Parts: sequence; structure tokens; C-alpha cells
Amino acid sequence: MTIFIKDLSFKYKDAEHFALKDINLDIAPGDFLGIIGPSGAGKTSLASSLSGAIPHHFRGEYRGQAQIGELDTYEASLTDISKVLGSVLQNIDAQIVAANVYDEMLYGLENFGVNHADIPRIIDETLSRVGILELKDREIMTLSGGQKQKVAIAAILALNPQVMVLDEPTAALDPASTENVYEILKTLNQDHNMTIVVIEQKVAHLAEFCKHIAVMSKGELAFYGSPKEVFSHSEELRAIGVDTPRVTRISNSLYEARLSEKNAVALTVSESLTEIDSLLKGASKDSKLSLGDEDLSSPHAHTPKPEEQVLNFEHVDYIYPTGLKALSDVSFDLYAGELLAIVGQNGAGKTTITKLTNGLIKPSAGSVSICGNNTQDARTSQIAQFVSTLFQNPDYQISKNTVLEEVAFSLELLGKSTEEAQSKAIEMINNFGLDKDAAPFTLSRGQRQLVALASTLVTEPRVLILDEPTNGLDYQECMRVMQIVKDAQEQGCAVLMVCHDMEVVSDFASRVIVMANGKMLANGSSEDIFMRDEVLDESYLKAPQVMQVSKALTHKGYKAYHGVSEVSDIVEITKQAVM
Amino acid sequence: MPAILEYHEGNTILHKANPLTKIFIAIAICAAVFLSSNIYLSIALILLSVAIGVATGLARLVRLLILGLAGLGIVMFVVQTIIIRDGQTIFLFMTDEGIRRGIKVVLRIVGFALPLIIMLSLTKITDLTNAAVQKLHIPYKFAFTITTAIKFIPIFAHEMKMITEAQTARGVEFDTPNPFRKLKLMLPLMAPLLISSVSKADDAALAAEQRGFYLRDDKSAFKQYPFKALDFALMGVSLLLPIIAFIL
Repeated sequence: MTIFIKDLSFKYKDAEHFALKDINLDIAPGDFLGIIGPSGAGKTSLASSLSGAIPHHFRGEYRGQAQIGELDTYEASLTDISKVLGSVLQNIDAQIVAANVYDEMLYGLENFGVNHADIPRIIDETLSRVGILELKDREIMTLSGGQKQKVAIAAILALNPQVMVLDEPTAALDPASTENVYEILKTLNQDHNMTIVVIEQKVAHLAEFCKHIAVMSKGELAFYGSPKEVFSHSEELRAIGVDTPRVTRISNSLYEARLSEKNAVALTVSESLTEIDSLLKGASKDSKLSLGDEDLSSPHAHTPKPEEQVLNFEHVDYIYPTGLKALSDVSFDLYAGELLAIVGQNGAGKTTITKLTNGLIKPSAGSVSICGNNTQDARTSQIAQFVSTLFQNPDYQISKNTVLEEVAFSLELLGKSTEEAQSKAIEMINNFGLDKDAAPFTLSRGQRQLVALASTLVTEPRVLILDEPTNGLDYQECMRVMQIVKDAQEQGCAVLMVCHDMEVVSDFASRVIVMANGKMLANGSSEDIFMRDEVLDESYLKAPQVMQVSKALTHKGYKAYHGVSEVSDIVEITKQAVM
Repeated sequence: MPAILEYHEGNTILHKANPLTKIFIAIAICAAVFLSSNIYLSIALILLSVAIGVATGLARLVRLLILGLAGLGIVMFVVQTIIIRDGQTIFLFMTDEGIRRGIKVVLRIVGFALPLIIMLSLTKITDLTNAAVQKLHIPYKFAFTITTAIKFIPIFAHEMKMITEAQTARGVEFDTPNPFRKLKLMLPLMAPLLISSVSKADDAALAAEQRGFYLRDDKSAFKQYPFKALDFALMGVSLLLPIIAFIL
């Protein structure tokens, strides 16, 4: 079933600008198309116009044509379109109708009038295809984020669509679950020739799994082609606000440095290794490569000598009221001016650590102290004097009608006068480039994240807690948020960050703690942690791409790459060796 | 913390009964509470609800409900004793008539809320919708609207918890021991909750439509919900309650 989109433009009712402008795109049967772009670029609108949600659910000005096989989405009803094209929405909590997995699977099958005699077999087959047959009788409330996402996929898959459209299916998932979801999509695509269209911000996965990539920018289709074609334009993509996989950046840089005649555009770690390996074979053997005396291995050497301890966990246990043990025997310190990242799978105890720090929960055994104060005796609202938290969802934090009120409110809560609060808030808002009179709920997701961040930083906290600060943000927003955090850190703020993005961890963290099943597996520099395979395996983590490359090259005897974590260093070392 | 109005897994007679039977039982108990003018009978009916809750494994939920309802009850009691000025003053501003009526109001609040919440906690919302469409021939769209509203209550409760946590961490005194101050702090947070609910409801509507919402009729449900002997027995017994209450 081929999908044709011809000169498609769409403007939402009451919107000022067109969300989609003259889109032309054909999707062949069996394609695996990735859609990427900065927030507000029109990715979800494009998916909605495929599923018929535009123009049937979202009204507005519609021009052009979208055709799914024989069906013109403008004329066909939503229900008819959904018989051939299944959609998994971004907000899966809203999509789920039932309390348990079996009932959730039943819903669509019942509605589409599937013969009742076939239903039990279809449910079992579909759940097995997604690898969650054992979850059949589970309550949805008790599932993890990754399991829920798989249930949402299975519920659509059961309807046997020929095309599946997924809107950021892995945004809230840990690295292992993300990998898992992509493996499932790959199987559906390869073994069942199902067309897959996926909106995604994780470029490494797009590069590895997609056959074609569409880059959206300001409602237009900016780039379209195979991953190799699209990601060879890393500079242009960066200008739009789209990231390129790190290994591809290595390729692109090597090509620009005239080291390779043709741009190899490596998309995966193994392709990158092959490329660098073949370049090094031409290099003279007496180069410094095998000696490793070059000290390029510690890019975070500027980290100041820790002095002032602001947070201390001393043999902390935490047991839920239900009796489940969430943390056991966790001890660590945090010093002023550090950025400590906590990594691990969902459910490993990362959020529990943040809640113990800001005092929302108290340790069951052991002690937590902030700037010398034991949290056991302090109220959360008192601990707020020292600790600010940026929650995963900024909407839980925002409660006022304007950005100014919101940011000033944080200071008023700490007892500052309205006047003082306002003047400090205005300074902060200007630093962030926000509009002080805007209503926070009318802003984009990324802008709301900045508002929330501004209101956490305005109090000049001793400890800043970040819970997945880059989740749901595009590349540009992600860099902006992290740069602001880095500035605060350099001014002496201690940062405690929970993060699933190992690239962000590797770029920004001065120290990393690895959690698994409520226990602390390791505590050290990111270069050190990402070199330790046993720790990574036990916590289901993967080193960032650049570290995977440098580790593999080191193992091959090219010791100069030991511990290298940045694209520019890999390129520099290779350049010196080859030239 | 057990969530209000969420399904609680179990294997008791009531778990197995027809969803409509359970609603019937809840309504019968409520009707009995309404008809009863005897304070002791009202207390007995509340104890019956508590017993049902404990027997079906909802002890934690029942305890939580009683604590919550007691708070509301005390406020209502005081209000009643202030408003009602008949009878003789026997304690501060309270009259004997005021106290009598105050107790009655409290018993009614508890007596109504307990059976309804307990029965809804023993019933899967999807089953209730399906059974209502299949047996009572309520139009599906209508049933879906009501059951979706019920489904959203625990989701709101969760959102509210996340919002209060975020605000507490900011320094808003949600951890104050003073309940009136807490209530005052909570009111401004209703706006963000409403905004996020509207967009959730819109997503839910779209998702349901994309899974054939408009094709569904009273024959769509895969599961059947026949009334069995057990259901008739349960309904028969519970029908006695309002009759007894009326006679006494």
C-alpha cells in the first residue's frame, strides 16, 4: 500500500501560521520512515494527516491531498482509515482504555467486528509477536513504561494494519527498552512487510533502523532521503536544530579534513570502526598511536578539586509503604560545583534518590544530609531553601498565569519581598530569553521546560536536582538547557541529574553513579564508567557511541584512543596518525 | 496508598458477580441508608459496608475512606449544629436537635459513599460499560462517557499527587499540618490540572475513534455478562435492606 502526499498544507483553526506547508512525500510499501525535526516543526501534524486525525479530528484550513492506498484521507472517515493505518499516539496513557492488558487488546478487535471465535488466537499471537505474552493478565497500572508502550503497540497491531504510525514511542523509555521497541518494529517491518512511520528524536536509532528519513523544519520537508544521504549534511541539520549521530559526525569530520576521499557516512559504531581502521592501516606504524602517551583522554580535567560537601547519603535504605525495597545501602557525597549523573534502568532507584534529596520522602535507614542538615527532621518546604528540583514534566511545576509571576513565586516562597523577587525574576527571564508576560501554558514544551528551569535556578540553590531534563526536548532545546545548567554548575551549584541519554551524561557529567535494582554499582568519572563492560552489562546500559568507538580501537592496540569521549578528539588523533 | 476507584484484583464472590449486580447492591444499601430514620440501623448498614470491604480484601482502602470521610463528617456536623437552632442548647452553641440532625447527616455521607466506592473498586470499568450496554441497552456512547469520567478519577488523583509533590519541593507548604491552609494552597493548582485534563480527554477521544469507537454496538463485546443464580441471590438479599429500613 503506497502512501502519497501531494502539495499538502494545513493550518489549525485559530492558528496564525501553517503547520504544514506544501508537503510532497511518497512512502512505499514496506518502508521504514523516520521523521525528525525541532519541536513545532510539524512532525505530529504530518503523522496526523496520515492517520486522518487531520482534517477529521483537528479542524482547519486544508489544501492538497493525502492518499493511503485507495483511500483519500479527506474523504474517507477516520474509522475507515484506521482499518489500514494504525496509530500509536504520543500520550499512551490517554490511548489506553482498559484496566488490564487482555481487555485493552479486546477493545479494537471487538469494535472492528472481528469474528469472536478468532479473537483469543489473535490476542495470543499478537502478544507473542511483541514478546509480552506473559503480561496478558496483568493490570496496566502495574506495568513499567516500556511494557506499557509495548501493550499500546500490540493493541494496534492486533487490528492488522498495513501501516503503523508511532509518535515518539520511546520518549520516556530507558535505553534498553528503547532498543527493544525498535527491535520489535524492525521485525514487523522485515518479516511482515509492514510500513513503519516513526517520529523520533533519538538520531542514533533513526540512523540504525530507518530506510528513509524525513527532516521537518517550520512546516516544510527540509531533507528527505536514506539515512546516509540525510546525515551527511550534519552542518545544515545543526542549523535547523537536528542532531546527527556521533559516529556520523566522525565520518563527516574525517571527510572534511580530507582524510577520506569519499564520505563513508558511518551510521553505526561498527561502520565507524571499519572506516577508521582502514584509514589507520595506511598510517605509519611508528606513530604515537600504540603508545598512548598523548594526554587527550581527560576532557573533563577542569573539574575543580571538590571542597565543600553539600549532600551526603550515609548507608541509606528506602522501603515503600507497600514493603518493597527501593534502595539498599546507598552512600555517596556531592560537592559544590559538581555535576553528578545518576544512570540506570527504569525502576533502578534513581527517582527515589532525588526524592530523598529534596525531602519528599525520608530514608527508612541511614541518613541524608543537605548542607549539614539531616532531612529526617526537616519539612520538605524547609529543605527547599537549599534544594531546587526540575521535575520531568514541567507542567507539574508551573502554576501561575505569567512567566514573571511563575519565576518570582519561587523567591516569594522563600520569604523574599515581592519587589525583590520581581526584579531578580526579570533578570533571570532576560538571561533565558523568555517573554515575561507570556502565559506559560501557551508556550511550547521546550519553552515551558525553560520557564520551569528559570524558576528553579532563580533561588540560587546549593543543590539543583534535574529529573530527565532533556526528555521531550529537541536537540537545540536540549543543548540550551544543558548549557544553562553548566553555567550554574561553574558558579558553584551542585547538580544531581537523572538522565537516560548517555551522550548528555558523557558530555556534561563530572561524575556518574550507576544504579541497578536499588543498589549502587559504580561511582566514578564517565570515562571510567563507560570503559567498564561488567558495570554496563549489569545495568543494561550502553556506552555512548564515541566511547564505544574509542574502546574498540584501544582493544585493537591503538592505545592513543584510550578514554576518548569526544568526536573532535577522535578526529584529531586519527588525523595526526594518518598525516 | 490504595487509589480510589481503581480496580482491586481478587477472587471473592463479589469479584465474580455480574458488574450490574454489584451496582445494584451499592444502590440498595444507599437506598436503605436514605430510608432509614433509625440511627442504629444506619450504623449497622455502615458496618455492613465495612464488613463487605474487609471481606473482599479492601481493608486498607476502607480505612483510608473512613479517615477521609470522618474529616468531611466533622465539618458537616459542625455546620449542622450551627444552622439548626431548634431544641434546647446543651453544649456551647449546640442544641439537642442540631446534634441529632448532625449525626444523621454524617451517617448519610458515610453510608452513601462507602458502598458505592467499594463496589466500584471491585468492578472493572470496561466490564461495567460492556454489561450496561449489553443488558440495560444503554447506548454505548453514553456508557463510554460515564465510565471514562470514572476512569479519569484515579489519573487525576495521580496528577494531583505529582503536582503537590512538585510544589512542595519548591517550598509551598503542602506539608503543613493545618488542613485549611492546605486547601487554600491547593485551589490555584486546579487550573493546570484542568488544562492538562482537557488535552488528555481530547487525546483519548481521538485514540478511541482510531480504534473503531463509532462501530461499537451492543453485540460487540467479546465477554458475555449473564446473570447467574449467584447474582439473583445477591440482588434478592440486598433488596431486603431498603425494605427493612422502610419498615423500621
